[in-house]
Amino acid sequence: MKKTRVLFALLVAAALLLAACAGGPSGPAEQRNDSLIVLEWSGYEEESYWAPFAEKHPEIYPDYAFFSEDAEALAKAQSGFYFDVVHPCGSWWGLYVEAGLVQPIDTSRLENFDKLFPELVEHGVINGQQYFIPWDWAYESITVRTDLVDELPTSWADLWDPQYRGQIAIFDSGESTFYTAALALGLDPYNTTPEQDEQIKQKLIELKPNLLTYWADYTEINQLLASGDVALGANTWNDAWATLNDEGYEVEYVDPAEGRLSYACGFGISANSRNVDLAYDYIDALIDAQSNANMANDYYYGAANRDSVPLLDPDLVDKFGYDDLSVLDETNFQHPLTQEQREKMTRIWNEVKSEQ
Amino acid sequence: METKRRLFVLIAPPAIVLALFFLAPLVIMLLYSFKDNTFGPLLPLTFKHYITFLQTPSFFRLLLDSSKLSFLTAIISIILAYPVAYFLVFYTGARRVILLTLLILPAWTSFLLRVLAWKVILGSNGLLNQTLIGLGLIQEGAPVLLYSQSAVLITLVYVWIPFAALPLFAAMERIDPRLHEAAQDLGASPGQTFWRVTLPLTMPGVASAFFFVFIPTLGEWVTPTLVGGVTGIMYGNLIQDQFARALNWPLGALLSLVLLVLVAAFSYVFNRFIPITEVPVST
Repeated sequence: MKKTRVLFALLVAAALLLAACAGGPSGPAEQRNDSLIVLEWSGYEEESYWAPFAEKHPEIYPDYAFFSEDAEALAKAQSGFYFDVVHPCGSWWGLYVEAGLVQPIDTSRLENFDKLFPELVEHGVINGQQYFIPWDWAYESITVRTDLVDELPTSWADLWDPQYRGQIAIFDSGESTFYTAALALGLDPYNTTPEQDEQIKQKLIELKPNLLTYWADYTEINQLLASGDVALGANTWNDAWATLNDEGYEVEYVDPAEGRLSYACGFGISANSRNVDLAYDYIDALIDAQSNANMANDYYYGAANRDSVPLLDPDLVDKFGYDDLSVLDETNFQHPLTQEQREKMTRIWNEVKSEQ
Repeated sequence: METKRRLFVLIAPPAIVLALFFLAPLVIMLLYSFKDNTFGPLLPLTFKHYITFLQTPSFFRLLLDSSKLSFLTAIISIILAYPVAYFLVFYTGARRVILLTLLILPAWTSFLLRVLAWKVILGSNGLLNQTLIGLGLIQEGAPVLLYSQSAVLITLVYVWIPFAALPLFAAMERIDPRLHEAAQDLGASPGQTFWRVTLPLTMPGVASAFFFVFIPTLGEWVTPTLVGGVTGIMYGNLIQDQFARALNWPLGALLSLVLLVLVAAFSYVFNRFIPITEVPVST
């Protein structure tokens, strides 16, 4: 009798513990109806990026949940984490819509919407509706320490040149490396046959003798280039070039014959948001000309707001064409991917990496 | 009856913790490996990730490669730690505990810091490269050892030596000194005493040292990420990628299960050859 009672007590304790674990993450969020929860890349919580929101709602300071990879943000959103606003990059937007995680945006509620570059805005339209509001955009190309190589690469295909043996660090991303190999082979990355996928995989395996290591975040690639451990940073964003250039290194940001890659990131509103009005105000504050320029200047990125251009560093505007987005026509803009496409790209990259 | 109840109360808390935080996650992991995708419903179960695994020989080759690396790490750690432990136990008398503490002192700093330290030593402007350049053995340029499997091996051995030294120290400390005296009385040379008495008696320590190093290093992904480069990648990186980047938790769960089965099988076989429990530890 006593034994069963002890057993029962222990079972109850275990059940309570389980319930506590299960209820943990979403518990506190549910009580805050008057605050705003932003699922954001770490480093973008700066108040100068959303100052108009602070003016309008001085009593509210947004609550940030940070992520360091798009996959992490999607995993959080998918597993039921409560958020109001999320900031993924373009190739992930489709998955949020597919999974019903975000709601269509009524663009008439955003005062600054009409000032945004239409070339970027159109990518936020999925299934005929505006789901994402672009904010920051950038390139992906090759940053070269010109003092460490005899010849500059002029195309993505040049990465395979034996003269760069052991001198390259490439972005550790299935998506980016897939594009790089496809472009080098002259293929359309979005419409490949299984035979071409195999070709891309073989091509990436052939790149390995030229690779010293993979890089996963911008501090890592900046250090690799600054120390001279590698001479070429493949699939680097323009900030790698800008940072090293500011520090006085001899660097060039290549304009490959096949075209640079380019992408935009932007904001969506959760389908479950209980603070939709605040979410609109927050996004409107982000795309304000001054806020948008503050972010772009800090990170050397392009701004989505046309009126931000005069507020940007003129050298960067000149170098990267931040004032006229027809430059994007010569690049390979990263489109939203389907789940199948993403799975395929990561599978190929996994196989390439595990090939010893 | 009273003793039985007391025993039950004593065992229950750890048993519940084990069930909740070890067995239950294992079952969840097993179920996940049959899921179609990360976020969808559990049913219907599918073998598609098992098929992917079997159809990708490079995954298996990487697992073998990583096993070899971990095996080598464990063996080298033991070979390096054994003389040190031997010296501490038999020659340092009362100061042995202080000296042992000094030996494992580096392990008190962050694991990440110790790995990064090797990155600095092996880097292009690091101690090793600068020395070699100073000696005129290499021209200036890329680091010699960093971003390779050797760099991973060196770093892992450095990090795990204290974990090999501790069980060896414990096993040696338990040896009754009278056994050595008896061996000498019976005319054994110091070499014979070591091979016939000390070494067999410390085998359980060697076995635990081996597993203390082999098992954790087999799942390693931080060290290869930091110092391994393209060629030093390990099986653990593959698992980490499935969870952090590919969002393919089912495949990640399967890859982890394969690792678990391998380690379990290995421990079983190892136990057969060196039956840890049957070696007399003390008289």
